[in-house]
Amino acid sequence: MQQLRNTPFHERTSALCQPQNWRKWAGYYVVGSYEHTIDREYWAIRNSAALIDVTPLMKYMIKGKDAANLLDRVTTRNIHKMSVGQVYYTAWCDDEGKMIDDGTVARLDETTFRLTSAEPNLRWLMMNAVGFDVHISEVSDSVASLSLQGPNSRSVLKRVCESDVEGLKYFRLMKNKLGGVEVTISRTGYTGDLGYEIWMEAKDALKVWDALMEAGQDYGITPVGILALDMTRVEAGLFMLDVDYTSASHAWIEAQKSSPFELGLDWTVALDKPGYFVGRKALEKEKKEGSSWKMVGIEIDWVGMEALYAEVGLPPQVPGTAVRASMPIMVGNVQVGYASTASWSPLLKKYIALAHLEKPYYELGTDVRMEITVEHHRKHAPAKVVKLPFYEPEWKKK
Amino acid sequence: MKTYDTIIIGAGHNGLVAAAYLAKKGKKVLVLERRDMVGGQVVTESFGENFKVDSLHAGGTLRPDIIKHLNLASHGLVVDTVRKPFISLQADSKHLVFDADPAKAAESIKRFSEKDAANWIPFLDFMNKVSRFVHSANAAIMPRLPKGFNASEGMALAKLGINVRMLGGKNMMRIIRGIPMTADEFVDEWFESDIVKAAVASLGLHGFTLGAFGAGTGYTLMHNWANRGGMSHVSVQGGIGKISEALAGAVRLLGGEIRTNAEVKKVVIKDMRASGVVLSNGEEISSGNVISAADPKHTFLSLVGAMELPPEFVWNVQSIKMRGSVAKVHLLTDGKHGIPDGTVVVAPSIKYLEKAYDAAKYHQISEKPYLEVTTSGNVVSIHFQFAAYKLKSGDWKTEGAKVEKIAMDTLAEYFPDLKPSIVNRKVLTPLDLETTYGLTEGDLNHGQLMLDQFMFMRPIPGWSNHRTPIDNLYLCGSGVHGGGGVSGASGRNVVKVLK
Repeated sequence: MQQLRNTPFHERTSALCQPQNWRKWAGYYVVGSYEHTIDREYWAIRNSAALIDVTPLMKYMIKGKDAANLLDRVTTRNIHKMSVGQVYYTAWCDDEGKMIDDGTVARLDETTFRLTSAEPNLRWLMMNAVGFDVHISEVSDSVASLSLQGPNSRSVLKRVCESDVEGLKYFRLMKNKLGGVEVTISRTGYTGDLGYEIWMEAKDALKVWDALMEAGQDYGITPVGILALDMTRVEAGLFMLDVDYTSASHAWIEAQKSSPFELGLDWTVALDKPGYFVGRKALEKEKKEGSSWKMVGIEIDWVGMEALYAEVGLPPQVPGTAVRASMPIMVGNVQVGYASTASWSPLLKKYIALAHLEKPYYELGTDVRMEITVEHHRKHAPAKVVKLPFYEPEWKKK
Repeated sequence: MKTYDTIIIGAGHNGLVAAAYLAKKGKKVLVLERRDMVGGQVVTESFGENFKVDSLHAGGTLRPDIIKHLNLASHGLVVDTVRKPFISLQADSKHLVFDADPAKAAESIKRFSEKDAANWIPFLDFMNKVSRFVHSANAAIMPRLPKGFNASEGMALAKLGINVRMLGGKNMMRIIRGIPMTADEFVDEWFESDIVKAAVASLGLHGFTLGAFGAGTGYTLMHNWANRGGMSHVSVQGGIGKISEALAGAVRLLGGEIRTNAEVKKVVIKDMRASGVVLSNGEEISSGNVISAADPKHTFLSLVGAMELPPEFVWNVQSIKMRGSVAKVHLLTDGKHGIPDGTVVVAPSIKYLEKAYDAAKYHQISEKPYLEVTTSGNVVSIHFQFAAYKLKSGDWKTEGAKVEKIAMDTLAEYFPDLKPSIVNRKVLTPLDLETTYGLTEGDLNHGQLMLDQFMFMRPIPGWSNHRTPIDNLYLCGSGVHGGGGVSGASGRNVVKVLK
């Protein structure tokens, strides 16, 4: 039987996790929420500074003369355009142009990259590395990572880091020293807010946690679990593997697979880069012919939903966490798609969802209806296709 | 810079057949050959004074329609019309002789089994039908299963189906059943004498790394029978190299160019499209199409490069089973070797064949090998199985002597005059097959003709129609369907699918 493991932060996180609300993530136990309700954690991300254990991310080090060539072949982005210290968000596909996974690529030096992913990709990387002068190693267990997110995150880091993070731009990284240990800090995250991810040796994990918690005290630093994170990533319009799309490597049927275009990742597909990359022919074809699906944001109309609840004498009800379920989306009496994650946005005061709609219903402004269950009965609440992200604070990239 | 419609990599018989057909269609073709002579595996070479031998194949013929289309007779190709006997050596010197005359052969078989003798002519009749099926299958372009196939691929397959059905319902069933059978089971349906069975079954092993109890040797037996047109080799007057010379003559007469000492290092690829080749001396030659007659592993992993190809395709190419296990021992004698004319085999029993194969399984050299011996005047050529390309211990730089010794010792048991008659000798190890003849892992077939690597699974599933993931790059060697043995089928077929 597979034993779930504890992350290197477990000694701290377990002491703080009041409801014993543990979640499984890539073979690890992680905290779902530290308190019985997640409101305080959600607001920490949006208003102060949230400290999130993201160690379970899969991490690979790719080194060697052909490291850039390999990643350029595997991912959809033009890796050769990347400078040292830069981070790219990217998808990677099978040769039919269907997404296998998505993650970040960080160029640590000219010939060294770190790739993160949601699921194991070592075999896929090895299969692609035939003929390349490259060394691939998985460092998922030996590298621990913390995500520090929220408008105060920079101030916290400025207090505790040896080198100033002030100049660290969006999707860039720097080497630094924190709590007496060497770390890498990237200005990345999964919340759509100002935020950083801190990468360290697993053995140094507690030192970094303690230093951040101490430095962040005056800035409202709050340990945050993945349930609050899930709400903010929906607001940020960020999708999740196995929730909002299925990896081509374990889809049961063709229809379960998605292309990067269908998930709105057009901007990550560098069809102008030279030579072969995995999925190129299929992606070129889809680009030319247009996608039959598109992931979009939808906003459920509050007044319309209120009326449905009023029919049974109830005030409108919204879920307290992000809902990971498939909810049919209709136009007239025809189903034109489905929502894969819906969430109440406490900040926007809106019920929002990530939805997958068929052509031509994915155009901005389209009026649709999403299925909701009102007192055990299926109803359709009016909604509208809107631009993603739902929420983007001005300080995200500043 | 001169440009061509098509560049063909490798002047083996398939490459030359493709070149000749294209030149005949008025295309500007260039054949590039790494060695200083054309022919690939189909060569007659000199290994010393008066020591001219058919290096790898003791005999063979191109398919008759190819000989006719390309008018090879006018280029000096004379195929022996008299078929020599196939002789299975026996310890008591009362050898089993399969004469080309069926009645004479039956007479010899009778000494081992009356029943087998009576079955010989019906068996020959069946094997003739088998040959028609094999040739007709090899003339068809295989559909790209499981991706589905287009109308023309469907037509080719339908035609094949009709051809098989025309052999009669009973024969059709028998052939289909025979494909996955072992050679042992296949011959067991016809014969009772182990000696007769082993002699016929040995054909199923010839050139393959499989034993008489290996699934699919029913098919390889049929395949080899069809290519030989019977049990014994058909030798070519002046040596098998005449086939290649005649083909080269046809190519040149039709306006095609052939360059020897021109090793292709890389296929030039831009945006997943082949546009020419680079030679090992750095010369770049451009062309509309490139056809590789080299084996699929060498073509994709070396000439194209894995980085230009989809990962799952690369994975499949890496998984192609090559596993060569053939060595050749050529002996120049003073003429008093005592070996009769014909195709002479050491295949005394089914179990002997299987045990000989066991060595290959365990990465060794057979101590008691299956041998096929032919003579041409003073020269004795021994086809030796099994000698595994990948040896458990020792390496092929030194182990050639061991193969030579075992081959000579084994034959000397039947022909005591052989050893004293030897004047000169030449051994070709599986490593020589790789380095000299460019056969990855010394596999004569460019990939074993196993059940999971034949027909629509050759060279790999989904790519059985000569096309490749690289536009304008095609395959035409033994490693694609039609290949395995000397017939020219895959060289002929590629021309049908070329844009």
